[in-house]
Amino acid sequence: MLLSEDLTCQELVELVTEYIEGSLLPEDRDRFEQHVVLCDGCAYYLEQMRTTIDVSGSLTEEAIAPEAQEDLLRVFRDWKAG
Amino acid sequence: MARAYKCLRPGRVGPFSGYSWPIGEWVEADDAALCVRGVHSCRTEDLPYWLTEELWEIELDGEVRQEHRKLVSERGRLERRVEGWTSSSAAAFAEACAARVQERAARAAGDGAERLAELAGDAAANAAKGAAALVGYIAARAAEVDGGVDGYAEERLAQARWLVSELGLDAG
Repeated sequence: MLLSEDLTCQELVELVTEYIEGSLLPEDRDRFEQHVVLCDGCAYYLEQMRTTIDVSGSLTEEAIAPEAQEDLLRVFRDWKAG
Repeated sequence: MARAYKCLRPGRVGPFSGYSWPIGEWVEADDAALCVRGVHSCRTEDLPYWLTEELWEIELDGEVRQEHRKLVSERGRLERRVEGWTSSSAAAFAEACAARVQERAARAAGDGAERLAELAGDAAANAAKGAAALVGYIAARAAEVDGGVDGYAEERLAQARWLVSELGLDAG
């Protein structure tokens, strides 16, 4: 992997969803995986993302307490409002 | 049938998929937990790019494609662990790589000297932690400073030769 091919941690974070969905181009997938081998922080981040997707994928709306729903909605509204 | 190698995290876990590989059972490429492109494995010359804590021999079946620094096949069956690849041998690999970086830095003059000295320091610090893949990468980058694209490739081949020789791998 030459300098021009290196992926930064920031770029990896931006690509992680596409990576997990399998929609990266093969060469970008290779660069992504090469970075993960070398970077413990990004390896941990990828693992966390997979865990989050697994856990949240099994949640239903009914499974979330009304207070927690309201908290999440408030955080989301504040985030959208900037 | 073909034989190759597979780098896994402790407990036979795929470093990217998180998949726990069984021993001696065929795993199909269309298993949802694996890469959409198939079962990934390595030839010996690919190994330096993918080193992790565990190294395994894997038997491949069906169509086997050679891609950039890896093999991709329809099916794979984990056969046996390469017992020689341990934290000690990983540290020895890292030290050998760091020593080559140090040699390059010691004989460097001109534009690349400062960069090589920096890489030698990085290599030594990470070799002390036994970070084999990372020190292999630093050594390849140092070789690139010294000899361009060809230097990089030659250093990676030297690393692969070390693994074949020290671990008694089948270079095919």
